Amino acid sequence: MAIPLRLKSCAVLMTLLPAIATAAGWRGDQHSGALQFTATQAGAKFSGHFGEFKVKFDFDAANPAKGVLDVAIATASADTADRERDELLHGRDFFWAEHFPQATYHAEGFKPDGKAWVAIGQLTLRGVTQPVTVRFELKPKQKRLGMKGGAALRRLEFGVGQGDWTETNWLADPVDVAFDLSLQPDTAAASP
Amino acid sequence: MTVRSKPARYGSVAQALHWVIVGLLIVQFTLAKVADHLPLGPDKVGTLARHKSVGITILMLAILRLAWRLFDPPPPLPPMPRWQATAAHVTHFAMYALLFAMPLTGWMMSSASNYPVSWFGIFQLPDLVGPDHDFKEALEDIHETFFNILATVAGLHIAAALKHQFIDRDGLLFRMLPWRSR
Repeated sequence: MAIPLRLKSCAVLMTLLPAIATAAGWRGDQHSGALQFTATQAGAKFSGHFGEFKVKFDFDAANPAKGVLDVAIATASADTADRERDELLHGRDFFWAEHFPQATYHAEGFKPDGKAWVAIGQLTLRGVTQPVTVRFELKPKQKRLGMKGGAALRRLEFGVGQGDWTETNWLADPVDVAFDLSLQPDTAAASP
Repeated sequence: MTVRSKPARYGSVAQALHWVIVGLLIVQFTLAKVADHLPLGPDKVGTLARHKSVGITILMLAILRLAWRLFDPPPPLPPMPRWQATAAHVTHFAMYALLFAMPLTGWMMSSASNYPVSWFGIFQLPDLVGPDHDFKEALEDIHETFFNILATVAGLHIAAALKHQFIDRDGLLFRMLPWRSR
């Protein structure tokens, strides 16, 4: 039985090698795709998007536990297509963009889940850091890497909605985040 | 009172639809005025959400009412000068048109401002148009103008009904009331 075993590990190595060779850093921003959020007001879902964000993604399918995902989002770039609501969203009761201009997400290590990958990272929003699970699928396309997924979070865990807005009858607590990106190779990170 | 209309009186269904819509229009006006004076907060979102739900209810009732009217035509107008009959028809037509136009422009306003409509939190309505700030502002003016026209036309309608009842004393008001005329 020794020979087949050796053959097997050989085969594993063979499949690993190209993966290691292509393992790389990726990056993206608002020009790479969309980063959206969907909230519920008075029983109706509405969506908005962030007009300014940056993504850094180091990933090796052969060693997903070593992968890193970093996202930085300009909170003042939240856009819901309604000026009055956007002002409110950027203001003190919600993102307080003046005081907390950035929201960040940092995850280390990914676990496979079917065709998708799952990460439990830390989201820092309005000065509060909480674990948030992100689930995404990867799809290589030529020189780019498609990354599509999302997360479900609760706005009140981060203090998004102060004062009257802590009630959830007219503005629900759960908020869904979705992204659909086409990342490009991070050439700067490729050099050691 | 019968379900269907008779020459001397509207039937119970037509009467119920008439008065329920009258009641809802008063609720609608009140909710809009209250929301107008609130700062953007949960109370305003809630009040406007109710306004939208009631508006969609009026739209559904208007559809039902028009369908019922086709099935059960209203009683003929009592004898009156020709210009008055014409005025009555024009007034009725305008009120029907506005019962559709007001909810529809309101619904479009909600879509244009990316505040989708939910009917009492039970189901969400599709957006009629995409988010568009300028279009929303224009719709807001139109919605308000339609309200002003509706208020004027309804005022004429009420004045005419009262004139028939109390000056002509032809008992016209009882055509739309469940009680006996004498």
